[in-house]
Amino acid sequence: MAADHGHHEYTAGGAHAHHILPQKTIFLIFGLLLGGMALTIWAAFFLPVKSLLENTFFMQSLALGIAVFKAYLVVTYFMGVKMGTRLVKIFAIGGFVWFFVLFVMMADYVSRPMEPVVGWEKVPSSALPRDTVKNPE
Amino acid sequence: MSHSHTKETDGPEVYFQYEDIEQQQETYLVGMWSFLVTEVMFFGALFLIYTLYRWKFHDDFYLVHEQLNWKMGGLNTLILLTSSFTVALAVHFAQKGNTKLQMRCLFATILCAFGFLAVKTFEYGAKIDHNLLPNHHFQYGHVEGEEEHHVESKWDKMLPSVLQVEKKEQHGNPQRARLFFSIYFTMTGLHGLHVIIGIICFTALMILIKIKSSLITDYVPTEMVGLYWHFVDLVWIFLYPLYYLIPK
Repeated sequence: MAADHGHHEYTAGGAHAHHILPQKTIFLIFGLLLGGMALTIWAAFFLPVKSLLENTFFMQSLALGIAVFKAYLVVTYFMGVKMGTRLVKIFAIGGFVWFFVLFVMMADYVSRPMEPVVGWEKVPSSALPRDTVKNPE
Repeated sequence: MSHSHTKETDGPEVYFQYEDIEQQQETYLVGMWSFLVTEVMFFGALFLIYTLYRWKFHDDFYLVHEQLNWKMGGLNTLILLTSSFTVALAVHFAQKGNTKLQMRCLFATILCAFGFLAVKTFEYGAKIDHNLLPNHHFQYGHVEGEEEHHVESKWDKMLPSVLQVEKKEQHGNPQRARLFFSIYFTMTGLHGLHVIIGIICFTALMILIKIKSSLITDYVPTEMVGLYWHFVDLVWIFLYPLYYLIPK
């Protein structure tokens, strides 16, 4: 990505002008993040539609949707991926793609029953929910 | 290897192993991103554990999560978002070479980080007083001889009434409550550890800038610590709704 930039393009901080996030954008993103947070809390307690408020899937999707949007703003603007080079973009996107691939593992848990481990339920400090184990002997 | 120059015209110093400043700065940032990818893997596994047990024991997790103080969590969200904002400004001023404003923003970030830890101290303090730390003192729900299990904490009482825990009766399966608090303390604890490391990094960065260290030749060190801090903010953006705002 070494482009032919004239030396005069560097700022006093050693950055190219096109890598700098304008102050206005920083304030805007901050406002959106605060708005997202306010919306999350408002929706969790004061959503006027009762049937939606009682719909777990909808409420969780809404909260996570807002969180993903906030994360997108932070990664794209605050973390500078938008202004970054292609290599930076590959690394940034790769990390989050991996995160979603990880959740494919849930397919294993969803599709099969959890096997009881004999003896494990007797370990006093075990965090395993003991009443899920049937007939431990 | 080093050139004498004025920064305004020539750009920052290019070390001998790099072709030019573009490559040098990109290398630093990609290095930082590689580290952040390992952090995503680290926290990713914990989020998977959370998802698994939340999916399996949603009803109990909902009842137990009422013990968490969503107002204090919200306050911490506000503090962390503000700190991300001050870091973004610090990087902006670092890029422009405005060291004075850069230092002020970094200082504000450190204050936010301490604010976050202060809020967490009140939360953890109350949880420990309520015997909700999953160790051998752990106790949840109905106690024999008591009509309802009420819990008091000096940490909670110190707070203004608007910030105090609303739900004092403990409902739900105690063993699953223990599971919930195990994951809660692991994830928020690791996140808190990252906040402490962030404070150390920001302090070190400020000292290096103050003493005009030769290690700081441009804005990139600020950007790198900033990337780390934004990641810490990112984790909290998900932790907050997942722990404090579990829907029924």
